[in-house]
Order: sequence, then C-alpha cells, then structure tokens
Amino acid sequence: MKMPVLYRILLIVLLLISVGVAAQNSTSQPQASTPAPPAAKSPATESEQGEKRFQSQCGRCHTLPEDLSPREAKAVVRQMRVRANLTAEDERLILKYLAP
Amino acid sequence: MFRPAVCIVLFLLFSAIHVSAQSETPIISGGIQYASTTAGGATVFQPIISPVVVVPIGQRFLIESRATFDEFISRENGSSGPYHAKTFSSVDYLQLDYVVNSHLTIVAGQFLTPFNIYNERIAPVWIHNLADSPLIAGIGTRTSGSSDGGMVRGVAVAHKNWQLDYVAYFSALVNASQFGAGRTAGGRVSVFVPDRRLEVGMSYQRFLQHEHLNSWGSYVVWQPNSVPLDLRAEYAHTTGGQGYWIEGAYRFSRFRGSDSWLGRLQAIGRVQQFYRGTPAPDDALPGADTQKVDFGLNYYLPHNLRLNASYGRQFSSLGNVNIWNLQITYRFLFPLLPGGSK
Repeated sequence: MKMPVLYRILLIVLLLISVGVAAQNSTSQPQASTPAPPAAKSPATESEQGEKRFQSQCGRCHTLPEDLSPREAKAVVRQMRVRANLTAEDERLILKYLAP
Repeated sequence: MFRPAVCIVLFLLFSAIHVSAQSETPIISGGIQYASTTAGGATVFQPIISPVVVVPIGQRFLIESRATFDEFISRENGSSGPYHAKTFSSVDYLQLDYVVNSHLTIVAGQFLTPFNIYNERIAPVWIHNLADSPLIAGIGTRTSGSSDGGMVRGVAVAHKNWQLDYVAYFSALVNASQFGAGRTAGGRVSVFVPDRRLEVGMSYQRFLQHEHLNSWGSYVVWQPNSVPLDLRAEYAHTTGGQGYWIEGAYRFSRFRGSDSWLGRLQAIGRVQQFYRGTPAPDDALPGADTQKVDFGLNYYLPHNLRLNASYGRQFSSLGNVNIWNLQITYRFLFPLLPGGSK
C-alpha cells in the first residue's frame, strides 16, 4: 500500500503547485507568452509570415513551447522540417518568427 | 536495465553531439508525465519519461531519437491485492535524416511508421489530447509502431495555395529487443491547404511477413480560421477490422486571450467505432466490435505544464467499461551543451 499512497500524495502536491504557479502567473504576467502585435498595418514582414506559417504548419499538432531560445529553435525547426514536411522557405520564415 | 544496444545508441548519440557542437546546438526535449487511469474499477498509475534528442550536423544532416521509460503500478488482482510495479523502456526511433532539398529527405534507421497521423504526430505524451490511444491505432503500426529501414519523404509539389506531401518507406524484420520491427512497405500522400488550415491524406501499407496483409487509411486535420477548434479524424482498414475516430478540441481563447485563466482551458470530445474482421495473431486490435466516446479537459499552465482529465465509456460485447484518466505533463526543452541556449 505504501507506494500508491506516495504516488497519490505526489500527484496532489504537483496539482497544487501547478495551480499555484498558474494563479501567480496569470496575475503578474497575463500576456507573457503572447508575441507583441505589429505596430502598424503594413505588408506582412517575414516574421509575421513566419508566425502565420507556424500557426498553419506546426499548429496542426502542437502549441508553441515557452522559452525557446534562438539556437534551440534552429534544431527544433530542423527536426520539424523532416517530421512535418516543411519546405526550405517554411523553415526560413518560421525561424524568422522564432529566432528573429 | 540498460541493454548493450541502448549503450551503443547512447555512445553514438554522444559522439554525434560532440561532433555537432561546433555547428548548431543539439537539444533534448520531450515530456514527463504522471498518469492515473481507472478502467472498470482497476486503477493503474503510470509515470512516464519520454526524452527526444536532436543533433543537427551541418546544414543537411540530423540525428534524432526518442526513448520512452515508463512504469505500470497496479494491484495484483486488478482492483484488489497488493500493488506491483513493472518498468519498461523502449527506443521509439533513432534515425539519420539527410535533407537533400524541399522535395526530398532521406531517412535511415529506426523511424516511427508513418501510417495516417496518430503514431507519428499525435502520440507523444506532450501532444495527445486524450490519454487512451484510438481503437484503430494498431492498424498499420502493428508490432512496435516503429520501422527499421529506409524512408523518403518531402513536398512533391509546393503551390502557393496548396502542397502535396509524400512519404514512402520499407522496413525489414528485426527482432532485437529495443529495435523490433515488422517487414513492411508503405506510403502516405497528403494535400495541405495552408490558408484553410486543412490537410487530407491517405496511407497504405503492405505487411510482408507471415501473412501478407494490406492496410489502408485516410485522415483529415482541420483548424478553422474563425474558431479556435482543432478537428482530427482517421479511418483505417485491414483484414483484422476497420474503424474510425473523430476528435474535436475547442480552446476557450476567445475569452480574454489564450493566457487568461479561462483561455488556458480546452474541451475535447472524441467518438470512435471499430468493427472486427478476421482476427490475426498479435494485431493489437479490440477483440470484438467496439464503440467508445471520450470527453476531456486540458488546462495549459505556464512553464509548459498541462493538466488533463478525461472520462470515456466503452461499449463492447466483451463488456462495457468506464475509463477515467488524470494526467499532469511537463514538456521540456534544453540545450545538450552548456551555453547552448545563448
């Protein structure tokens, strides 16, 4: 009986920590992971095109990971180029969005 | 616990990481999950670690691998008796990719069998919306879900408004414990319309060992531009049976944005039916005609954490059953080398 009880306690603790983190984050940084909107209406920049391609190509399966550094993004997009059949242009524009 | 094959894999991976250190940052990503499943009164606890290592080498080569380490903790007699734990480990794929151009990528090694989309794209613990695999997940991916051999894939035609993608592969029979695969050949073609965010595809596989079996399937993925809704559906047919699943996931991001407390919530529904054909040994399919409906809630917490709770009701002549799932998943991504994130 000891092991399952420990796992139940661990699960409850993880849930409480997660809800606490969510509550703190939603009050202090409500828009932390949302990319800044463009300042003015103009022809789409490469970064905006990259965002659009990310939403259509990558968003079919998953959301954007938080805290993705530019160098990490290169490896991720290279892997996704194979997995999601991205073209070279897709890879270039998505990198403009993820690693400007 | 580590078998010689795993040690060799790790040695090769670390060698490649060392070689690639001067070019681009190798990364380790993946998911850690703790899941609790209660089906028909029997509860199973399942901690899972599923790391993915990605090592770019130059501009055209890439080594990628995913392993899964999980543990099943359950009572000896289902819903009574002392608890026992069983630990499992597997290498899901270990492949070398050579990106020739947009039209052609050559893959060698062990790769996820690209039949429809669930096995290759949706199955990872940090992606799937519902804990239970679809009833038809065993069609086209039988034995291990992985293939050992070669694969070519890419964009056959890239038009401004649509693109035609393809995958073709051959797998040899391998009985090694960590790299098991069946002798198969197959392929997939799909049309993707970016502006409509619509993808439609078809898969075919010829199973070439023991009995020669054909499997074929089709799928649709659609994300309407006007609604934060993900729609996915698959149909698959083989000698052992046929079936389909349809899944819809609606995120409440219209309400004060996707980072608000309500916008982090996603409601999921899935219906599926399976019709038994001629049973084949180890075909990993339900033993009788089965219907199932699932409802779930995802809550996307900050820092790549996700909570998931779901309820499913399965109807079958072998017995109806309620299935409850509770999961917490952490999706991680780190550079493999110090200073790699700069």
